[in-house]
Amino acid sequence: MALLEIENLSFSYPESEKRVLDNVSFSLERGDFLLVCGATGSGKSTLLRCLKRELTPLGALSGRILYGGKPLDELPDRASARLIGFVGQRPEQQLVTDKVWHELAFGLENLGAPSPLIRRRVAETAAYFDLEDCFEREVSSLSGGQKQLVNLAAVMAMRPEVLLLDEPTAQLDPIAAESFLSTLEKLNRELSLTIVLIEHRLEEALPLSNRLLALENGKTLVFDKTRRAARALREHPVLSRALPGATRLSALLHEDDCPLTVREGRALLERRGGAFRTLVDEPHDEERAALAFRDVYFRYERSGADVLRGTAFRAAEGEITCLLGGNGSGKSTLLNCAAGLLRPYAGRVEVFGRPIRAYKGQALYQGVLALLPQDVQTMFLAATVREELKGVDYSAFPVDFEPLLDKHPYDLSGGEQQALGLIKALAAKPRLLLLDEPTKGLDARARDGVADILKALRARGLSIVCVTHDVEFAAACADQCALFFRGDVVSMDRPRAFFGGNAYYVPAAGRMARGLCEGALTVEELAAMEERA
Amino acid sequence: MGALDRRHPAAVFVYFAGVMAAAMLTLNPALLLVSIGGGALLLLIRGAARLSSLLFSLALFAAMTLINPLFNHNGVTVLFVLGDSPVTLEALLYGAASAAMVTAVLMWCRSLSGVLGEDKLLYLFARVSPRIALVVSMALRGAGLFSAQARRVRRSQKGLGLYKEDNIVDTIRSDARVFSILVTWALENGVITADSMAARGYGTARRTAFSRYRFTRGDAMLLAAGLLLTGLSLWGVLSGTLDVSYYPAVRWTAMTPLGWAALIGYGILALWPALLEGGERLKWRFLRSKI
Repeated sequence: MALLEIENLSFSYPESEKRVLDNVSFSLERGDFLLVCGATGSGKSTLLRCLKRELTPLGALSGRILYGGKPLDELPDRASARLIGFVGQRPEQQLVTDKVWHELAFGLENLGAPSPLIRRRVAETAAYFDLEDCFEREVSSLSGGQKQLVNLAAVMAMRPEVLLLDEPTAQLDPIAAESFLSTLEKLNRELSLTIVLIEHRLEEALPLSNRLLALENGKTLVFDKTRRAARALREHPVLSRALPGATRLSALLHEDDCPLTVREGRALLERRGGAFRTLVDEPHDEERAALAFRDVYFRYERSGADVLRGTAFRAAEGEITCLLGGNGSGKSTLLNCAAGLLRPYAGRVEVFGRPIRAYKGQALYQGVLALLPQDVQTMFLAATVREELKGVDYSAFPVDFEPLLDKHPYDLSGGEQQALGLIKALAAKPRLLLLDEPTKGLDARARDGVADILKALRARGLSIVCVTHDVEFAAACADQCALFFRGDVVSMDRPRAFFGGNAYYVPAAGRMARGLCEGALTVEELAAMEERA
Repeated sequence: MGALDRRHPAAVFVYFAGVMAAAMLTLNPALLLVSIGGGALLLLIRGAARLSSLLFSLALFAAMTLINPLFNHNGVTVLFVLGDSPVTLEALLYGAASAAMVTAVLMWCRSLSGVLGEDKLLYLFARVSPRIALVVSMALRGAGLFSAQARRVRRSQKGLGLYKEDNIVDTIRSDARVFSILVTWALENGVITADSMAARGYGTARRTAFSRYRFTRGDAMLLAAGLLLTGLSLWGVLSGTLDVSYYPAVRWTAMTPLGWAALIGYGILALWPALLEGGERLKWRFLRSKI
């Protein structure tokens, strides 16, 4: 018997004719891992919230949702809260209490469980999720990845049978995201937990699932076993963008096989035995430096450790420079030093050849540089996009803001917020733009959008320094890539040489083609070469 | 971690409450002196205060002592005349006794907050009302989040050159705008948190409060000793045998066996925590030297 059965589910919000969900049907057995994908606004989140009774939005719902053969509505309140767990996108805001142990106990407290039972469940859960070391800590002192793990553990302490996740890794860096996803895989494999996961970056998530559901405008586009569904989606103009590199490569090569992982993609390339050549970076003229760090040292507290340790690097004028590196390596600190918001205790920071201290008062921020912070929401102070853009000329910008003017900036999608932040930053006509993780939480399409905007700005002569975790993004737009490690730049090169020399920080295409074709950054490049050969 | 940190919060709380209650109900100098002695010793042993910081308590004590005779002119023994008013010995002694009481209670409070900490206090509170304790816990978190976000917004506005700091009117205007967006932000977050609470069954049953503390034999002994000794001290204090009247002249009530028992009982009550902690520390030193 199916654990979860959805029959002809339709949903529309009050006072709206539009069906956000239109006749969606599927069923899941115990132990299934369902991946849900679709463009922004395709109804993914609404679907997930319909499966969690407590979170179902107001509106007209028709069709049936059966849980273990019975209508979901007939489940008692406490059973419904316990059996179906939910983890959302924002790690910070989902935490309710101030301590890790209390967060783990919270759900069981709500169900009125006695202390000895809670003690046992909390201890077991903390041990399973490896949270013992931070058990007594304040949740605010945890990293984003740890917070999201606490959210997951807090739900799992209630022993749910179904776990619903709405883009749980969107706010995490890639390393934390991968570790979160592998925890899900472990839960699925070891506990036979039924999982429904919404993700927009499918490179890592897709191979974990055994079912794939793709939604388009509220309708089921595909629901099938993962590999069959991926094959069907390969040809889709928008959704194919999000598929793993290996899958996209097989589509470009018109292969019948549908590889899902780098390993399978690699096998495909070797089987075809195509002839490749090595790609090298085009020669660039040596430009003057827009930003230069000369042996810069910085620490937050006098007795603390150095965050920047003799950082030395230069970003050339008119180029896009991407700084890659792990969490806590000091990338954001570097940007704040470059923007004059933090002051190093030794070394020199130069902006367009002048020491940063030579810019007095607001001079640095008027026509010289602008910093886009990681949390782009912190840039918005007005109640509408129109007010936010008052006095700003946005006609030449590659994004059309007209349909968004009356919305609250917080209601925009991630990609739109990033674009609005960029246009605000450009208002003071900076010549140097500093960006902190501009693709965090964006889907493949929005990420390509940001890359296109940056390229358009570069064409206008802007210099851009961008801190990012996203190798695919860096491969798509960087002129210069640098690896940042423990407070210093350890390698810096043109993208093809840079990624060619790395083993882990490499786009999927590069990993698949290692040893066959050096210097390839995208699957499109790979496919084009194969075709020619 | 001292010996008291391992004890159950409820036992510690009752014990300390007893020590403070007995001190608050009397102006008997002997009892108050014992109370201050025990309190100071405990602070020193736990490393919560150094001798130099106890000097501050002494200064406070002196200030409070001197204030009473300036305003209170009762008493028969005139020391000297300040302006037109006589300063009497009795008023000075009464001031010293009440200052001793306040000092003692403050010291014990300081130790108590050190031993219990925010976590354990909240736990005690949760025994009374799980719901309010949750609100307090959420508020503590919310306040931290709010100010962190305020800092981030200010910094990002500054990075755009929009947050001017050179002019007070601009600063106030910018602050007001930041505050208003922070309220929106907090509401947005509140919705997510509320969802997260509902998803985990908040409101489906009568909440219990999870406690990480177990009530052990040691706790029972501490609690029993505390209750017994507090009872004895309070009996003595309330029976009046320890009363001292300061006006018009200082006069002690004749000491009865009950009075002596209460004094000795209070002495043990006030010194016991310091002995517990001190013993623990000695044991550690001993153990370490053997390793």
